[in-house]
Amino acid sequence: MAGSLLFSQFMGGFTTAMFLFLIASGLSLVFGVMRVINFAHGSFYMLGAYLAWQGMTWFQPLFGSFWLAALFAASGVALLGAVVERLFFRSLYGREELYQLLFTYALVLILGDAAKFLWGTNQLTVSTPPALSGGIQMFGTTQPLYNLFVMAVGPAIAFFGWLVLNRTGVGRMVRAAQMDREMLDALGANVGTIYTGMFVFSAFLAGLSGALVTPIQSIVPGMDVLIIVQAFIVVVIGGMGSFWGTFWGAVIYGQVLSFGILVFPSFSLFSVFALMAVILIVRPWGLFGRPLL
Amino acid sequence: MRSWIKLAPLFVVPMLWPLTAGASDPIKIGFPIPLSGPTAVYGEPVLKGAEMAVAEVNAKGGVLGRKLQLLSRDSKASADEAVRLSRELIIKDNVDFLVGTLTSAEAPAVSTVAKENKIVFIAPTSKSTLLTDPQHIHPYIFRVSSNTDVEGLAGATEMAQFKDVKTVATIAPDYAYGRDSIAAFAKALKKLRPDIQIVDEQWPKLGEPDFTAFITAQMSKKPDAVYCSLFAGDFVTFAKQAAPRGYFKAINNRLVDGGEVGTPDEAQALGADYPYGIIADAYDPVIWGANEPPAHKTFIADLNAFAKTKYASGWSVVGYQSIYALAEGIKKAGNTKSDGVSKALEGLTFDTPVGQRTFSVKSHETFAPEYWGVMVKDPNYPFAIIKDPQMLPASFPMN
Amino acid sequence: MTAQRIPWTLIVFLVAATVPWLGSRYDTFLAEQVAIDALFAVSLNLLLGTTGLVSFGHVAYFGVGAYVCGILMKTYNLPFIVAFPAAGIGAAIFALISGYFCVRLIKLYFAMLTLAFSQIVWAIVYKWNDVTGGDQGLPEIPFPNLDWMSSIPGLGDLRTSDQFYLLALAVIAICLAIMHRIIRSPFGRVLTTIRDNPERAAFIGINVRAYQLAAFVVAGGFAGFAGALYGIFSRGVFADYVFWSKSAEVIIMAILGGMDFFWGPPVGALALVWLNQQVTDLTQYWPFVLGTILLILLFGFPGGIVGGLHALWMKKRGAARA
Repeated sequence: MAGSLLFSQFMGGFTTAMFLFLIASGLSLVFGVMRVINFAHGSFYMLGAYLAWQGMTWFQPLFGSFWLAALFAASGVALLGAVVERLFFRSLYGREELYQLLFTYALVLILGDAAKFLWGTNQLTVSTPPALSGGIQMFGTTQPLYNLFVMAVGPAIAFFGWLVLNRTGVGRMVRAAQMDREMLDALGANVGTIYTGMFVFSAFLAGLSGALVTPIQSIVPGMDVLIIVQAFIVVVIGGMGSFWGTFWGAVIYGQVLSFGILVFPSFSLFSVFALMAVILIVRPWGLFGRPLL
Repeated sequence: MRSWIKLAPLFVVPMLWPLTAGASDPIKIGFPIPLSGPTAVYGEPVLKGAEMAVAEVNAKGGVLGRKLQLLSRDSKASADEAVRLSRELIIKDNVDFLVGTLTSAEAPAVSTVAKENKIVFIAPTSKSTLLTDPQHIHPYIFRVSSNTDVEGLAGATEMAQFKDVKTVATIAPDYAYGRDSIAAFAKALKKLRPDIQIVDEQWPKLGEPDFTAFITAQMSKKPDAVYCSLFAGDFVTFAKQAAPRGYFKAINNRLVDGGEVGTPDEAQALGADYPYGIIADAYDPVIWGANEPPAHKTFIADLNAFAKTKYASGWSVVGYQSIYALAEGIKKAGNTKSDGVSKALEGLTFDTPVGQRTFSVKSHETFAPEYWGVMVKDPNYPFAIIKDPQMLPASFPMN
Repeated sequence: MTAQRIPWTLIVFLVAATVPWLGSRYDTFLAEQVAIDALFAVSLNLLLGTTGLVSFGHVAYFGVGAYVCGILMKTYNLPFIVAFPAAGIGAAIFALISGYFCVRLIKLYFAMLTLAFSQIVWAIVYKWNDVTGGDQGLPEIPFPNLDWMSSIPGLGDLRTSDQFYLLALAVIAICLAIMHRIIRSPFGRVLTTIRDNPERAAFIGINVRAYQLAAFVVAGGFAGFAGALYGIFSRGVFADYVFWSKSAEVIIMAILGGMDFFWGPPVGALALVWLNQQVTDLTQYWPFVLGTILLILLFGFPGGIVGGLHALWMKKRGAARA
């Protein structure tokens, strides 16, 4: 009895964690390289969800429409990221961090209303792709197939990301930019392209996670704000700029949320912010991060 | 002398002008209601119903010779926003009356604004008893909807019919309506079936995006049946997340929900994902089957024409009722002063497409029953409908 | 030269005080909102502009003040003269506790921790139904006892809300005067030194953390006063008042007005409230407009309204000199 409950809560927490990992990894990457917190990351996630819904209505009759829609959504958001970075962000590098933060906040306001304008203010839903509907019996519980898929995608992307970062030339550049961008620039690397590339990839991840979340959660105005706060917490716990930190931060956060309602039903809202505060007080650079210079 | 007489009308007309201006000034009704977010799926049709009522009344010449004018605003289902909008509507737009709000977070807050400014406020849908209990009642608040006591009795009656159910779990949004509805249900159930035990309570917040943890925690207690007060967008999200986990299967679809998820609005929002077999209610089942009152048939036809929909909403009727109730009150009072209208509304009986309603003198509410039944698939409609809607509770003491 | 001798401040407040007579009930409503927002924004600017501390959680102290005053006046029926100072003190105490941890962190982490504390306050307020009313909030905050105002000639005929407006205006004027004093004092100069170069300040022997904490507490206390006034003004205190989007709003006010000037934030408050009114009359897409304004500010006028005007004035003066 208790075993199956623990298992359910753990699996639920892990699903949440993998979604958060997908989203937060983009945030963390951008911070690690560009030293900027992108508030609009949540907006990219929301746009990914809306674009996925749009894609579903357009591609409905096609085979594999859900996957097409997800790819369409992620690419669309990545394109938006490229435009934002090239047109606006560029001119803010080197300016005070406050201005960069406020810029991303302005984006949140603008993109949020753009979504309302394009898709209305009602709640939208997307059905689970037929290939992944239904569930598997495990330890006395039914685990939805789609959730299991997400739980696999998370670590897959983590592994892929780790591969790229540590085993490719591109990854080496990115790691170098994270450590010392001036030196990298002096050595002749095109830091500008690295920045754009990072930003676009991070936007792609955000859009993809937004698209993938649609069968599980409803698309509603305000989801951008809800998710960015959670992404922050994950990145703070794990350590800003650290890839694996984000992964473990997401796992921890997911479990706190999941078991929180069992142990502290009225306090799970409070406990996650308290956790964030505790980490910032005790070890601000998180579990895996490095102290900011 | 003669030139003066010729000029006289020039003086008389401006003197009479204020009188004519008063006669053609519209009666302004402020209407804050959620038009965005998870509750908009209910909020928008309530507004539509009100708009249709206003159009009908105005087509017949208005009230006391004046047309009605609706000023609607998006309250985002937030008490804070609803209060701010109401005050603005009163101070800036000089509305004569307030009608609206959807949730029991907004209505009690707006009620205090109405009390302070002495403006009649009719709430179409808020069910929490604290809106009109002795501590909060005042001359200017009126409620057209049911309240949680009525809903709880109806819900318990439905639950009581399951002879082999011994344990029940509850899940409700953690705010006034959710808490009151569960309390009322538990109390009524105790009287009807003292043998049933409530073994689990879950309290997700209103607007919760992820019910997973609540779902799995509840399933682990293995209840025989569930009483659910989730509604609107929350119920859609909940159902979509619960179904693949076998939640409904585990309880054999013995879920009773008092949050009007039996309306075509909700059924269409869920589409094929609707958990058929659950028991739900609606102020207006829309699709009635046999025994449909002729007034209702006309209402639905008019509503579809007005809102340009194929299948009418089950929520528009409350917005519609509220406007007509207000119009009756103004007519009876003979003026648009809130003090007079408030006295006129007390004890007033008015007709609605789903039956007659009366505002009680003591608590200014109608104790309206709703229509309950099992949600089934019907080949004639692309969404779930209530099978043989029954009016419940059969009777409820007015005070 | 003579421009500096004219008591602009006094004139502004005198003009503001005439609004209940000259304007409509709605004008008074707006003016009160601007005044309270101005106090809140100036308190934030003590951190942002003067000390160089970017706080994302300033609304926490606003909220603490609002709830302390609201609870004391509504639940415990204490008079305003007790509840109002208590609100400021309560907010200042919370600022002391949270600030102690925050000032030990640098820049971004500081900002994140202020946000975390602010959301903790929100979470507590949201869940502690018995005391704070939870998501229902605390409606019906009573007006303070303003009978004494009727004895002042000319004020007896005013509505209670107008009388409160005048009281609030007077209180805000005093608070602003105190803060102005603080910023002009040697203490304030130390703060600007810290803002410009914290390492150098530490080098010459200043206890940077202590000064930052002091600024934090003062800013928090005055934010609490603003919150207390706001609770009475809106006739209710709700959990949404403590949500972080309000922190963002007040930062925008400070920057819109110009964070390098004492009167920047109040000008920003006025501009934002006015813009909000104008825009929401025309369209529901106010956030979009606000975002665009923010973009224009960041890329075109980083000094804000007052900063821009000042630059213009300096240019004119320079041209006149030449």
